[in-house]
Amino acid sequence: MNTVQGILQGFQVAFSLDGIFFVFIGVTIGTLIGMLPGLGPITAIAIMIPMIYGMDPTIAMVLMAGVYYGAIFGGSTSSILLNAPGVSGTVATSFDGYPMAQQGKAGKALAIAAIASFTGGTISIILLMLFAPTLAQVAVSFGPVEYFALMFMGLVAISSLSDGSAIKALISGVLGLMAVTIGIDAQTGTPRFTFGNSNLLEGIDFLVVALGLFALAEVAFLIKNRNNDSLTKTQHIGSLRLTKQDFKEMRGPLLRHSPLGFIMGVLPGAGATIASFISYIVEKRFSKRPEEFGKGSIKGLAAPETSNNAATSGAFVPLLSLGIPGSGTTAIMLGALLVLGINPGPLLFQDHPEVFWGVVASMYIGNIFLLILNLPLIPYIAKILKIPRPLLISLIIMFCMIGVYSISFNVFDLYLLLAFGLIGYLFRLYAFPAPPFILAFILGGMMEQSLRQALTISNGDYMILLESPIAIGLFIISLLTFVFPFIRSRGKMAK
Amino acid sequence: MLKSAERKISIILTLLAIGYLILSYQLPSYPFVPVDSDLMPKLLGFLLIVLSIILFFGPNTDEQENKTNHVSRHELVILLLLTALIILYISLLEVIGFVIVTALFIFSCSWILGYKNFKVNVIVSILFPVVIFYIFNYLLQINLPSGILPF
Repeated sequence: MNTVQGILQGFQVAFSLDGIFFVFIGVTIGTLIGMLPGLGPITAIAIMIPMIYGMDPTIAMVLMAGVYYGAIFGGSTSSILLNAPGVSGTVATSFDGYPMAQQGKAGKALAIAAIASFTGGTISIILLMLFAPTLAQVAVSFGPVEYFALMFMGLVAISSLSDGSAIKALISGVLGLMAVTIGIDAQTGTPRFTFGNSNLLEGIDFLVVALGLFALAEVAFLIKNRNNDSLTKTQHIGSLRLTKQDFKEMRGPLLRHSPLGFIMGVLPGAGATIASFISYIVEKRFSKRPEEFGKGSIKGLAAPETSNNAATSGAFVPLLSLGIPGSGTTAIMLGALLVLGINPGPLLFQDHPEVFWGVVASMYIGNIFLLILNLPLIPYIAKILKIPRPLLISLIIMFCMIGVYSISFNVFDLYLLLAFGLIGYLFRLYAFPAPPFILAFILGGMMEQSLRQALTISNGDYMILLESPIAIGLFIISLLTFVFPFIRSRGKMAK
Repeated sequence: MLKSAERKISIILTLLAIGYLILSYQLPSYPFVPVDSDLMPKLLGFLLIVLSIILFFGPNTDEQENKTNHVSRHELVILLLLTALIILYISLLEVIGFVIVTALFIFSCSWILGYKNFKVNVIVSILFPVVIFYIFNYLLQINLPSGILPF
């Protein structure tokens, strides 16, 4: 199947009535949820999952992808207007976006953010089209050893790159791997850690974990800030018009940070948040007038906005071409794809080319929708920020409950959901990052399977793990990313 | 003080790992299988013990983060109330039915959280479950429990 054929097929899917309708729904919901401080793309996608059960996998993926990049796109709005980032990927946006809004140029800031997001998103889709199929061709030859090494690297990378303590992130990952061992073992049929409870035989559904650990836990933190008045007051937005001078100033950051953000998105564990911070720092360092940064600099706003949207497309490269997600958000998408009977990975391009090309093509349309939603309509959409928090909290709790109940019809899973909500809350309280847990939970089953497959091939000899040069390379990279944060924290302590 | 919180967590995690390991060693083994179902759990159990020990003795890195996350007594009461409310919701869901329980939940939950606009609260509490029930049962063909209501 060649690329041109693929692209044509993709656009056929994207321009179908279903394709256009669901990408529109996806980006709209993404924008709305992304805008609400405290609710991130993981929650947005997890809440959508019950609705995609039984859907055509391509359309489902189009929808989820739309929610994801829509959330990053929409997150910038609350960063700029309220200085309360809607998603963590847009924290860096508030550095220069909020000062601009305070100067009465909120409209201009929103316009810059929208154009930067659009450019970053669109350029990196082109890179995604070029890059993912090539990577998949390499990965076709991967055996269980390489896969194990790859997933191992993904987990270590997300742990060492997540904010906060690396050791806590690793613990979170190990706990996620432990949680997935509950249930009947796929290879021998032995029930493990079920305590004789028949509800646990099938294991814990990933949706229960995702909604509990993220959505419910986020709600618990929303409760704390529910009476914060600054969240409900929206400012006068002002004109959205940009001058020629503004465009000229934006051009550099747009072109620089689209590829940079894309690469950061491809790397396991990095993603939109880290991409936007790095872009901000890089742009500031190379600027001729670094003193303007933090006071409403156009470049300082455009750089992270370009980068975080470019990173969201980049994140689809490992997900679709290797079947290995590099972040919590893409991990949940993988979980959803598996439920729909699609196994993302190198064979996806042979078996289901329409999924990959359909999603990619729909991203172009999605980005155009986002530009329309975020430019002329933004003053109206920003009204969602005025929804009273108590009402919003009750509704989100209900969405979680309905979501879990509608896939399992089992009250036991609802208790489990509550338990994971509690775990997620404690995680946040004691600064344990949750994304490694969900990534480990979703990769855990595959990891165990490939490890045991490899060891079965070698008849129990562990040296098989070190016989493949690709695997050795991946293990070395994992080791380096693992050691890196410790050196960094040592360095900080020394200072 | 904070350090002790981290140490407490590490002790809890170690206990968890030990319990997990005890269960892993009780897993039945099969002859003629080079790698059995207990391999991964054992690895994970020991790994967690090692990580907990590092956490116990390691440097404390995020002091500030924990301070901002301090939970007040008032907030704790509200969280416990909500948890109780959710448990009540779950246990009554299949008995009384989705629409009624959900309406009651949304109303009381918003009220506990301090939403005083009575009229809007009532409207949302009734509209939301009815619309969702309709979408799920008739459009998505997913049957939510109807309970004591006749439809």
